[in-house]
Amino acid sequence: MNSNGTWKFLGGLGVVFALPWLVLIVIPFLSMSSTAPVAYVEADEVEGGLTAYPDRSTLRYGASDFGADVYASEGCVYCHTQMVRPTYAGPDMWRQGWGGREADGLARETRPEDYLGEKFAFLGYQRIGPDLSNVGYRVANREEMHQHLRDPKSVIRDGSDNRDSGMPAYKHLYKLDTMTNKLVPTDRAEALVDYLMSRRKDAKIPASLVGK
Amino acid sequence: MTVQQPTAEDMQERAIIDRSARFPVMFFFTSAAAWLFVGTLLGLFSSLKLSQPGLGDSFGIFGYGRIYPAHTIAMVYGWAMQAGIGVLIWLMARLTRNPVRRGLAILVAGHVWNAAVAVSIICVIIAKGRSIPWLDFPGWLWPLFAFSYALMVIWVIPMFHSRKGGPVYISEKFIVGAVIWFPWIFLTANFLIGAETAPVLSAGVDAWYISNLITFWMAPLTLAVAYYIVPKIAGRPLYSYTLASISFWVLAVLAGWTGFSRYMGGPFPSWMPAISGACSILLLLAIIAAVANIGVTLKGCSKVWELSPSLRFTVFGVLMLAVYALLAAASSTFLIGGPLQFTPFSAGLDTLAVYGFFSMSLFGAIYFIVPRITGAEWPSGRRIRRHFWFSAYGIISLIVLMLVGGIAHGGGMAVWNRPFSTLFSISTAYSTGLCVVWAMISFSNFWFMHQLGMMFIGKGRKSGGPTLIHGEPGAAVGAKEAAGITS
Repeated sequence: MNSNGTWKFLGGLGVVFALPWLVLIVIPFLSMSSTAPVAYVEADEVEGGLTAYPDRSTLRYGASDFGADVYASEGCVYCHTQMVRPTYAGPDMWRQGWGGREADGLARETRPEDYLGEKFAFLGYQRIGPDLSNVGYRVANREEMHQHLRDPKSVIRDGSDNRDSGMPAYKHLYKLDTMTNKLVPTDRAEALVDYLMSRRKDAKIPASLVGK
Repeated sequence: MTVQQPTAEDMQERAIIDRSARFPVMFFFTSAAAWLFVGTLLGLFSSLKLSQPGLGDSFGIFGYGRIYPAHTIAMVYGWAMQAGIGVLIWLMARLTRNPVRRGLAILVAGHVWNAAVAVSIICVIIAKGRSIPWLDFPGWLWPLFAFSYALMVIWVIPMFHSRKGGPVYISEKFIVGAVIWFPWIFLTANFLIGAETAPVLSAGVDAWYISNLITFWMAPLTLAVAYYIVPKIAGRPLYSYTLASISFWVLAVLAGWTGFSRYMGGPFPSWMPAISGACSILLLLAIIAAVANIGVTLKGCSKVWELSPSLRFTVFGVLMLAVYALLAAASSTFLIGGPLQFTPFSAGLDTLAVYGFFSMSLFGAIYFIVPRITGAEWPSGRRIRRHFWFSAYGIISLIVLMLVGGIAHGGGMAVWNRPFSTLFSISTAYSTGLCVVWAMISFSNFWFMHQLGMMFIGKGRKSGGPTLIHGEPGAAVGAKEAAGITS
């Protein structure tokens, strides 16, 4: 084996890249993998009897898990974020309904624990449409959500219309029922609505996590 | 890299190397060019869809959320990876003076790679995508990419080890770096994201992967090409080898830290976006040093710039690398990056990396390499000129659009009580402009694909000097010497 410096060079390349790889990616990944729901201490427990953070109702179960796949496969991520930034990075918290329940004083930016139970946090790529972190609070009910997917421009919310919306109609998620001559949701549409209605990232933070 | 005239023995050795590289390299170039054309058409369609959302909305397959990732896959895995692999195989063979071996294995793996790209695009279009930017293909496909990548480029390492001749040239360092870093980031990203245990950090790993694919694959190959082509065509040694080497190590140390600033203000420990942002800014040092080095080498060579297609594309790519590095550094500060986050600016930055600097430099390399391995000259200087100007205008328009569109969209988002739906008129203006950009780029790449196809089937010009941008082919004999172009 000739010693022309090949292995020294390759070793150098390995060492300089191993540092960010370990410090920025592998170690934080492993430590964040163990993020388990945090228990509330008795004194902190809020009304409604939450026992763990985040609120169990926001975790994905059953149909909502399928809904996340529909959300991903339709590429919603390319126009919608799920990441509410703190005020030093942008005015997200000022936008009505983005930070969750303002009236209850629960509005806040998103935290790592909010995405617990998901396969991948769809933080987003562009914001051609609004943030969806708390869309489950902004939309009144499932029927309104279906209407928004079927014909976005026809939705009237909080007294203002949605005519300017650039959202395309997701007609292919609905099929025509020949008996009633109406568009009825497919399984994919129901799952997507399940998922969207479960977008509530504003559970009360346990005292043990505040400031972290 | 000397300016001495090559001896007859050297010429014979080069001919053997070029012949050995012919089939694998031409295969990568032609399939990459075909994917590039598909990718630019998908880019055109996705921006059309963004400006006219109602277009064909009864059909799911036309959704912007499916077309855009399909476009990215075609551009990144179809074009950028394959063109890069073709160029690095030839460059490595020439620089280490080793013929290309295992041509058959490389070709077989190349077919597997192309099949994987095709399946990825189809899966994304028929709603099997994962919506993980730049990794949208279904999870079961990544071993196929990893496996065929290994079979295609692993031969570069023994080639490097058994190099002949003098000290290691700087382009070899960049190539070996890119060859090793890509599988490292690709496997890391796919393993960790596939584990599905840390959802938030998976999103961060994806941002890191995108940034590293740009700084550890596209930027090194752009510079490897420039450090090879510029001294070769200008006929003079590189201005400073030491500076080039220092900038290589600065890039190697810093680039692995970048990426998280895409999600600054996101649900991460705040040191992560902070360190990414700081390293993006420091990375400017490496890029500016490299660009200045190439600029000084070229001083007083305007005549060659006018004539040589390789030099013109490569130098334009290097300039765009500087623009990209500057914009990326600016957008990793809260002051500039905060308002521009999630606007057309941040998406445009990715396009600028893939098409702006990487592709342009690689076009330069391809215009240089193909005549040498096929033994024929490009059919038409006019078409090369067309390819250059339509691409260049497309890229410059893209930069203007992403800046104006980003500032307008970001400014609109900053007005907290402005209904979000009214911002759509701003993105419509941007995406209409983007249609024009992609139309220009598609047009230019049609001619590129056409030219490359002619060379592939042996319809190149058989005699005369190299095809130059100005002047009719054939009439260019003698201009070769005038311009100082050596083969």
